[in-house]
Amino acid sequence: MELIKLTDLIKIYKQGTKTIHAVDGINLTINRGDFAVIIGASGSGKSTLLALLGGLEKPTSGEINISGINFSKTSEAKLTKIRQKKIGFIFQSFNLIPTLTASQNVEAAIAKRSQSDPEKSKKMLEKVGLGARANHLPSLLSGGEQQRVAIARALINEPELILADEPTGNLDSKTGTEIIELLHGLNKKNNQTIVLITHNDYVKKYSSKTYEIKDGKIVNKS
Amino acid sequence: MFYLRYLWAELTRRFGKTVTISLGLALSSAIIIAIISISQSLSIAQDKVLNPLQNVGTDILVSRSISTDNMRDLDETTRTEIMSENKITTDLSKLGNPGDQFTNDNFLPGTLLTFSSTDITKKLDPALVKEYATGLILNVTHQEGKIPAVTATFQTGGETFQVKTEMSDTDREAMRTAMDKAREEVKAKGITPGSAEEKAAMDEALKKYAPTMSTEFKTPEKTYTQDVGPISTDINTTSFTVAGVNTTKKDIGLILPNQIIEGKYFDEGTDQIIINKSYADKNGNKVGDKITLGKKELTVIGIVDPKLYTNTADLYLPLSDLQNIAERTDRVNIILIKSTNAKSVADTSKTLESLFEGVKITNAEDTAKQVSGSLVNASNLVNKFIGLASILVIVAAFIIVSLLTILSVNKRVREIGTLKALGWSNGKITRQIIMENFVLGIIGAILGVGLGILIIQFLNHYNINLSANFANESSKIGFMRESRNENTTTQTTSTNLSLRVQYSYIIMMIGALTSIVGSFVAGTIAAMKSAGMKPQEALRKLE
Repeated sequence: MELIKLTDLIKIYKQGTKTIHAVDGINLTINRGDFAVIIGASGSGKSTLLALLGGLEKPTSGEINISGINFSKTSEAKLTKIRQKKIGFIFQSFNLIPTLTASQNVEAAIAKRSQSDPEKSKKMLEKVGLGARANHLPSLLSGGEQQRVAIARALINEPELILADEPTGNLDSKTGTEIIELLHGLNKKNNQTIVLITHNDYVKKYSSKTYEIKDGKIVNKS
Repeated sequence: MFYLRYLWAELTRRFGKTVTISLGLALSSAIIIAIISISQSLSIAQDKVLNPLQNVGTDILVSRSISTDNMRDLDETTRTEIMSENKITTDLSKLGNPGDQFTNDNFLPGTLLTFSSTDITKKLDPALVKEYATGLILNVTHQEGKIPAVTATFQTGGETFQVKTEMSDTDREAMRTAMDKAREEVKAKGITPGSAEEKAAMDEALKKYAPTMSTEFKTPEKTYTQDVGPISTDINTTSFTVAGVNTTKKDIGLILPNQIIEGKYFDEGTDQIIINKSYADKNGNKVGDKITLGKKELTVIGIVDPKLYTNTADLYLPLSDLQNIAERTDRVNIILIKSTNAKSVADTSKTLESLFEGVKITNAEDTAKQVSGSLVNASNLVNKFIGLASILVIVAAFIIVSLLTILSVNKRVREIGTLKALGWSNGKITRQIIMENFVLGIIGAILGVGLGILIIQFLNHYNINLSANFANESSKIGFMRESRNENTTTQTTSTNLSLRVQYSYIIMMIGALTSIVGSFVAGTIAAMKSAGMKPQEALRKLE
């Protein structure tokens, strides 16, 4: 079933006198349950693509349709709400809030507040194998552990889509692999739709769909 | 609630920022509290001091006061009046015999000419003035000592006179008779005429028959000059001022019962006198001492600290007693007036000027102008700068806090971007930041009030002394003779105050508000800045 449909997506940036075509006419479809991997070198436009997918950027032209919602025609406020409920983000630099504990970081993302939030967060951390670290501050966690917290945070609202922006970029290869395997596991077990961008080739073997991106265009699809 | 836990986490885990911002806010609050409190306390002190009239329930002082400047412009009548009122003639011979101890007091009104008190009672009706009290302030020259004996020694006689005079008829007759008798005797004795023996016998017989002759002569006129040495006098002269006060009025007058610091105010007793504290300190007088004034012995019943600084005296008596002693019945030279309502002080003053000739009307504004000294200087300085200083402090605090807040928000760009990516609305983020700042404002307010109290305590501990100087009204006229031992009454009165800074809830509140409002505004600016951040930019910054 279709979750994401991109039609002639174009995003142009102006940097001084230069005009950058970050995304230059992309068409693709991602179905529920897909583990889509977008591979490209730095500057290929993959980060921009992810931002567009997450509603963090508005396209210059073209359409983004996620879960039946046309992002181009949606207001900022509504987009924010959609992001909160339906999309989970994982970033290269983890982006945990430094003053909050692991559990509190997960809680921060919770869309519908309730009394049981702390408990829910702790449970989610257990799911990613960090039950014992629930009360630790990010400064006390290793890179891999921080990324796990980020994943728990991304999952807390049971989003329809997880967008991962170079999740292994700041991790060593061993830890990186662990994280990819964790994500892969989620995809297989819970049918979690994941779109992951990376420049690492080895991720390919986990994906169900691989797109190669270059100069803002999809050049290969497998 | 999550938001509270996030707030707590932010304040405790970014502790350096929390401390810096709260201290900055606290300091500015404390400074504002201190400045306003000091200014207010100086104002209060100023009011007390600059409006001494207020301390004695008075709006207006009326006197016929001559100042040394306008002496030249005086008319003949007034000049004569000053001369006659201020003449001292001491006839020592009337005071006793040479060698006797004497005391003599001369009471002079100085530059405050007197009015008739019956005249005043007639002219001041309740429609014009609410209340009034009269007083008589006199300069006293007090002489004490022994009446000098003046003796001069003259030496006369020892002079020889050569006198030629005509014989009178009676003398001639007596001579003739005597010669005849003598001749007869000598003849009878049978002595040879013309012999030496005859001459001797004749002389003898003449002595018997004409022993004396009388004649008159006038001694020549002569003038004797004898230098008399300087008269040794054992006379001590001191001067002081004395005031007669209305004892019937308890809240308007030169001195009031509540200004007595030792002993008591005048009551039904007789021969009572109250001493000014400064005079008592100088001369060591105490309650119970006896003072002789103009032949009357008075008992000191109290010591007073007068609050009408512009017109004080060394000694105070009931008005009628002084009028009697100084032989100035029905005379007063100062009127204290409380007008019927505050607005008409100016009108009342005009009316009074027309009622009494040649009077000087003094009101609160005038007395305020007469004051100088460190109190006035400090007040003026503070008043000039209080507005400016407060604004500077607030602006400085605001700038500092805003900068700090914005800096901290800049540091949290990634955090804010992440929250936005996670679906936090601008409203939520704004609210979070403003709440954080609000709490900082409250912490700053509490610390600020505490610090403000400490500063005030510190200032009060140092007992900063402020003085105010007043030119005293009852000054002496230049042409009064000054004798050797005079204690001149001071021309200016000084009053000293310790700066006592007051604690006031309102001022503390203002200080607290400065902190809270300042932090709130800074928070709003920072929140607006963060709201403007695009999540994508925030995230991109770190890749």
